[in-house]
Amino acid sequence: MGAWTQVSIDFETSHLYFPTLIGALLVVLGLAILLRDRARIAGAGRYWRDVFAAMDKLRFFGTIVLTVLYFILMVPIGRIWPNTGMGFLLCSGPYVLLTGLLFMHERPWRQVAALTAIAIAGPAFVWWLFTGPFFLTLP
Amino acid sequence: MTIKRRTFLAATSAIAILATPVALSAQELPGNVRMVIGSTSTGGDTYQNSSIVAEALGEHLGINIRVDAVGATEAFKALERDSSGSTIMIFHDQSYLGHLYGVQGYEDPFANYVVGPTVAINPGNAYLVPADSPYQSMEDIFTAAANGERVRVAIQPGGVSEIGFSAMKNAASVMSPGSEDNIVPVNTGSQSDKNQAMWDDLADVINGSIQANEQFTQLPEDDATAMRFVWITARPGTLEQAPAEGMGGTSRDELLQYASPQTSVTLDGAEDFTFDKEFFFLFNPDMDPAIIDQIDTALTEIFAAGEIQERQKASFFIPNFLPSEEARAHLTEKRDTYGQVIEQISAE
Amino acid sequence: MLEIITPLFLMLIVAGTFIGIMFGAIPGMTATMAVAVSLPLTFPLGLENGLALLLGLYVGGIAGGLVPAVLLGIPGTPSSLTTTFDGYPMSKKGEGEKALRIGIVASLVGGLFSLAVLYFFAPPLAGFAIKFSYVEKFLIIFFALTVLAALSSDMLLGIFSGVLGVFISLVGTYDISDGGNGKLRLVPPGTEYWLDSGFSLLPVLIGIFGLTAILAQAELGMPKELDAKDIHVGRRSTFSFSIFGGQITNLLRSSSIGTFVGMLPGVGGSAASLLSYSYAKTFSKTPEKFGKGEPAGVVASESGNNGLTGGALVPLLSLGIPGDSTTAILIGAFTLQGIQVGPLFITNNPVTWDAMIFAMLIANIAMFAMMYFAIRYFALLVTVPKHILFPLILMMCVIGSYTINYGIMFDVWTLLIFGLFGWLAVKLRLELAPFIIGFILGPSAEVYFVKSLESFGDYTIFFTKSWIAAALWVLIIGSLAMSIVLAIRAGKNGTQDG
Repeated sequence: MGAWTQVSIDFETSHLYFPTLIGALLVVLGLAILLRDRARIAGAGRYWRDVFAAMDKLRFFGTIVLTVLYFILMVPIGRIWPNTGMGFLLCSGPYVLLTGLLFMHERPWRQVAALTAIAIAGPAFVWWLFTGPFFLTLP
Repeated sequence: MTIKRRTFLAATSAIAILATPVALSAQELPGNVRMVIGSTSTGGDTYQNSSIVAEALGEHLGINIRVDAVGATEAFKALERDSSGSTIMIFHDQSYLGHLYGVQGYEDPFANYVVGPTVAINPGNAYLVPADSPYQSMEDIFTAAANGERVRVAIQPGGVSEIGFSAMKNAASVMSPGSEDNIVPVNTGSQSDKNQAMWDDLADVINGSIQANEQFTQLPEDDATAMRFVWITARPGTLEQAPAEGMGGTSRDELLQYASPQTSVTLDGAEDFTFDKEFFFLFNPDMDPAIIDQIDTALTEIFAAGEIQERQKASFFIPNFLPSEEARAHLTEKRDTYGQVIEQISAE
Repeated sequence: MLEIITPLFLMLIVAGTFIGIMFGAIPGMTATMAVAVSLPLTFPLGLENGLALLLGLYVGGIAGGLVPAVLLGIPGTPSSLTTTFDGYPMSKKGEGEKALRIGIVASLVGGLFSLAVLYFFAPPLAGFAIKFSYVEKFLIIFFALTVLAALSSDMLLGIFSGVLGVFISLVGTYDISDGGNGKLRLVPPGTEYWLDSGFSLLPVLIGIFGLTAILAQAELGMPKELDAKDIHVGRRSTFSFSIFGGQITNLLRSSSIGTFVGMLPGVGGSAASLLSYSYAKTFSKTPEKFGKGEPAGVVASESGNNGLTGGALVPLLSLGIPGDSTTAILIGAFTLQGIQVGPLFITNNPVTWDAMIFAMLIANIAMFAMMYFAIRYFALLVTVPKHILFPLILMMCVIGSYTINYGIMFDVWTLLIFGLFGWLAVKLRLELAPFIIGFILGPSAEVYFVKSLESFGDYTIFFTKSWIAAALWVLIIGSLAMSIVLAIRAGKNGTQDG
């Protein structure tokens, strides 16, 4: 076979070989998409305005904010009682309750009570199962 | 039996835990300890060995110790973050070898952490050749290298698997300067990759272990997967403590043939190079030293009782308890020796 | 042999299978995790009883992934990814129950088939499997990647998404334990602390399928009317075994593919169902129906991923080399008891070997019985109101992400990052299934590709290595040609719905 098919890979730099190849392929495909869909891409501003106009902003961003808070608080709270999973237990209840309330349309007291019960029992059971019988580390 | 204890602890602890937050008396291990290990495998030797120690220590001190197989980089991060004693680590020689070989994510454990007691040795580190290999011994390999033959050795670079290879190169250069260039690495990953490299004829010698490769040495020679040991890196004194029946179909006496002094890979022309994979504790440098004392004392008592040794031997570990001070001195010396080997072969 | 079959032994298999199904069925929990958390329990149980429990967990865990894949479109376990492609559309059409039944039968066939292969052919097959060097393994992965083209509704965007998935999977270190050099790449400056190990598969997967789906619903304001109809399990279409009339070839082929791919160490579980799905689509008479609720797709996926169970045990028990991540943990169960696994395992431990085969057999039957008759109860899952179901799923995803690598908080953030990414990607018309396939297969593609070139130094090796390589090229070209033909046909009919 001709020499053009030959390749020598230096182990020290081999971590860059495949990423470079894939990166190049990605750029080529990206350009092809730009070329083909240029009209649609030009209309992106409008598209996004429509997306945000149609969006239920409270529920969408509410979910994200609650989730971020949940993740942020879990670790420091857990560190008060190290390696006990308390961070998970104490944060999951409120998180389940609040996202549940956020997702509900009407909030009749019976359903809220049911949700509250689940928000207490669910995380507690899972916490018990994972730190107890499964003996795993939780935040 | 463990279930009951755990379930009970978990069930009763919730309230008790809430009542006793951080300000614990810092001279002792807290009631819930996380033992991170430098391996991500729960089927591997580090995990097994750590869980034997964690269980014994937990029972002895009446506390909970969980073993988390988070892997080296994450384990060091977790250890770094927590100086309260609620995170401790167990790992083996990889912790400093990774640093000596300059692997990403490894810092000098002697400078950045506190090295604690050693608990056990895995004596299994070995090198093998295909059953039909022309090389009958390490001597043949060194002779071949001296005669200009290229010997390809499959290893996982950057640590425990490479140190024996570095020693081979070093020995070659001591015995016949220049011949070390004929001993070349084939960089692979897991044990199965190394075996495969042999079967694909990409490697003449592979790094392996007594535990994982012994059965391949028992296969009939015409089997394409059959192998032979050529070198076991353990110190003779370590292997002598292994059960007399050895491993599988290979007795301890047969294993000893492949180890120093019968099989010699020289360190400096006088002494043999040896390598034992030792498991030891690592602590956060700011952790209260009283906790280290507590662990030392507890382990001394546990090893005096003698039960843990049986567990370790059943899993082919050699019990090797050294309290922190001694362990640190021993490991520092070991690190220095290997540091020189690595420096010498890379200097040329 | 007979003295091993005690009531405790049988009970452990059944209990293991049951717990395994639960793990598989909860998004974020996997078979691997079920086996890992139960490993310490096996020490006091003894070898055979311990294995009974673990094998039950393994079989149940793989099979259980079917349930959320079909009912919620969230793969319960990575290997049930392809089940979502047709299972979830079937659910949306009101054929959820039918899809579940089809999947369960296919799981049973796949499980039993691979068990038979394991029992009768383990040593010779292991001998064949080691003929697969880096080159052949790369081609297997490449073949699995060709499914990208077939799965995309817009081929250009689909392939772009797949390649992006590969690219993202390479972020972090080139893993030494896979044969890499341990150096960082594609990590933006300042993020090394978090990204040095890259993104883990499970959080990415459940982020993209679980969190993205929930965010999309939140964006729509949790439309209430969808509660009942959207995920209706449905009596509208009935299941009968006659569905399998035309599926015998598919069943056997997919089971064989699953079993064989399971045997190849390092190729991994998810590739098994991807390959059988890809193959089924390529050789189907109605490939255009795939991805829109085609029962054959569910059959291929489920028989493929359950075929894995027996297959992955072949190299473990005849070479001492685990076939996938779950069987890697099984090694721990053996070494805990001081049993060596290697080429002589079967000869040296005939009783344990028989016990394992028997345990797998019972586990498969128990899995079938439990799942087949519990479908009504699984269906209850989707009648849980979203405001309760979704928060609980999110919580389980958090637990799953945090515990998959034994307690790494960044994995939880990964879940969120990829949940948001998934939402954005859909808006940008990128395709999630190809992305995740690229992400799953990327790391092995890299290692085998680079190692092939490192070892042989010539691109032509991919064509000239062996007859196996040549045969794989035939399959690869067939699969690509089929995708192109299909795309052209779809284009002509103007049915492109990208």
